[in-house]
Amino acid sequence: MTATVTQPAPRASRRETSRQRREMWLLMLPAMVPVLLFSVGPLLYGIGLAFTDARNTRVHQTSFVGLENFTRMLADEQFWSSFQIGAIWSVTVTALQFLAALGLALLLNMNLRFRSVARVLAVVPWAMPPVVIGLMWKLVYHPDAGILNDLLGTDVNWLADFSLALPAIIVVGVWTGMPQTTVVLLAGLQNVPKELYEAVEVDGAGRWRRFWNITLPQLRPVIVAITSLDFVWNFNQFGLVYVLTQGGPGGRTRLPMLFAYEEAFRYRAAGYASMLGLAMAIVVLAVLGLYLWRQMREAR
Amino acid sequence: MRIRSALAVAAIVTLAAACGGGGGGGETPSGDGQPVKLDFLSLAWQKESVAANKEIVAEWNKSHPDIQVTYVQGSWDNVNDQLVTQFAGGTAPDVIHNDSPALAGFASDGYLLDLTAKLPAELKSDIPQAAWDTVTFMGGEGEQGVYGVPFLQESQVIIANKKLLDASGVRVPTPDNPWTWDEFSEAAKKMTKDGTYGVAWAMKSPVNRTLNLALNFGGTFFQTGADGNTTVKVGPEEREVLQRIHDQLYKDKSADPAALGQGTADPLPAFFQGKFAMLPTGVYLRQQVTEQAPDGFEWVTLPAPKGVTAEQGAVSQTLSIAQDSEHPDQAMQFIAYFLNAENQAKLAKGDWLLPTSQKAESDPAITTKENGWDVATASAKNLVVAPFLKVNGYDEWRSKVATPVLQEYYANKISLDDAAKRLVEEGNQVLERYHR
Repeated sequence: MTATVTQPAPRASRRETSRQRREMWLLMLPAMVPVLLFSVGPLLYGIGLAFTDARNTRVHQTSFVGLENFTRMLADEQFWSSFQIGAIWSVTVTALQFLAALGLALLLNMNLRFRSVARVLAVVPWAMPPVVIGLMWKLVYHPDAGILNDLLGTDVNWLADFSLALPAIIVVGVWTGMPQTTVVLLAGLQNVPKELYEAVEVDGAGRWRRFWNITLPQLRPVIVAITSLDFVWNFNQFGLVYVLTQGGPGGRTRLPMLFAYEEAFRYRAAGYASMLGLAMAIVVLAVLGLYLWRQMREAR
Repeated sequence: MRIRSALAVAAIVTLAAACGGGGGGGETPSGDGQPVKLDFLSLAWQKESVAANKEIVAEWNKSHPDIQVTYVQGSWDNVNDQLVTQFAGGTAPDVIHNDSPALAGFASDGYLLDLTAKLPAELKSDIPQAAWDTVTFMGGEGEQGVYGVPFLQESQVIIANKKLLDASGVRVPTPDNPWTWDEFSEAAKKMTKDGTYGVAWAMKSPVNRTLNLALNFGGTFFQTGADGNTTVKVGPEEREVLQRIHDQLYKDKSADPAALGQGTADPLPAFFQGKFAMLPTGVYLRQQVTEQAPDGFEWVTLPAPKGVTAEQGAVSQTLSIAQDSEHPDQAMQFIAYFLNAENQAKLAKGDWLLPTSQKAESDPAITTKENGWDVATASAKNLVVAPFLKVNGYDEWRSKVATPVLQEYYANKISLDDAAKRLVEEGNQVLERYHR
């Protein structure tokens, strides 16, 4: 008897939830269409291209070639050396960005005079597009008219020197990415409950201990989020390096994105370039996944 | 379920739209009474040259109300990347300014129109065959065709500081009796003293320079086998110029090492300060020298040194028509007007380069002794087709292999043998992709 009473109830609620779900989809549709149209579509198209011999030419018949691009990529030393440069670039820039931004954020979080002005100034580079930043720094590094050689009294062609070019663009990369990292860290700092500091102050903890035992652990989720985002952004950096060095001298600053761009738009190998893009996306996701997973596990 | 299938449809539509994006584009064909509209992508960048280009376009538009040309400004820095994208997207301009090395690729991609049948006789006969050879390539279907009209050519000369040249007491070379490479190196050594260097090689982009000079000793860098496939070769002929420049830098120490990583125009401030006496460079740099030289600075143009021959590889600036242009005949009419002898002289003067037009060559404006025009124009007779022009995949060889290898070689980081080995081995790997 109880069964006959209770049975209709779940059916009704299931109908209810399915209707709710349908409504949810309908409401999401306007937001989904651009995502599908401009992100998912091209992404799938790119993945598809990676398994063809597509070329940016008028006379070429594109055909499916399976894993040919993949095996070619594995044997492409030039690509892997560019990948190595990309790894050095993104790890160094992310790490330095984080350290510099943390310092700046701590400074801006203190009770300084003109604090609000300083905060605004710190965000200024954020407002500039990478190409403008590139052009500006090109002038800074200019061998004859550059302000850097003027200040140091040297005569160095920073962006054309085999061993200095990469460090030179890393400095620019750090400078470019500092504002958003600083802002996020600053927001994180302001969310640290004051009571915690008061509590350790009662215990007589010094400045360093306060930072190490309160600030850093409290900031941890913010740090994890911003460094992983920074890593992705830096790995995918293109405009800045394209303007500064175009990958030179002798390929010493040819980041993998630049390499793929050249494959597609200079040598017309669209299919192969798609495979390179796909490989980069997978590597970034893997590195990121590993990092986030470890952080989560430690946090628990 | 229904919504999911709707989403699937949306995804498929998206994909189809993305895949089909390649074709189409362009303006609709003009109806009766409407003027034909052409886009002209120009890469002129020197002030006088931009002015000359715009002036000729304006004159054309005035005298041809039914064919209106829009001047579109491009840049040598990224024109090829831009064209690859525009061609693929179907939005390429009708008339395209470029240079002959780039045409080989676009011609074999099928993006450029074969002009053979369209060239007016007058234009064809005014430009010598040697210049036409620089724009004759295999097209997309494997047939020979003419894919551009060559109009400005660059040759190499030496720009020298007159005071330092005279003080050294060396023989001043003339177009009829140029220095040999030995004499050139000797002269550079004589001019090297008291912190002044004899010569400066700006080798930021060393490949075209080196390959063009290598022809002095018969160095071609490429050979085509019986199977029609091209491979790289670096034999004794190719090594001559490489070794000689390297010797000036590191054995004679007569070449300024600071200039090595610089672009073509970068060493000029040091040149004006007398830090070195001679600057081997393209004829067009004379424009910047005249414009920027401080008052009282005297300079002369010397012919390039000669090896076994005085031959130099010729690269031409060109005008081409896009295969997908809707008005190719009108575009050809415009090109024929744009490149008539009178206009070529104007353009050559504006860009400080040499015209291909034989009638323009005798124009007094570009044979005068002033600013070295006589020496520059005389060097035109030494221009031959650069062998690398015909090599499919040259561009990739240049940027992936030759540029880093030559930069490292000139920076004394690797030996000549290593450089030769890498140019050949890594180079052949690159070229293999382009074999038919």
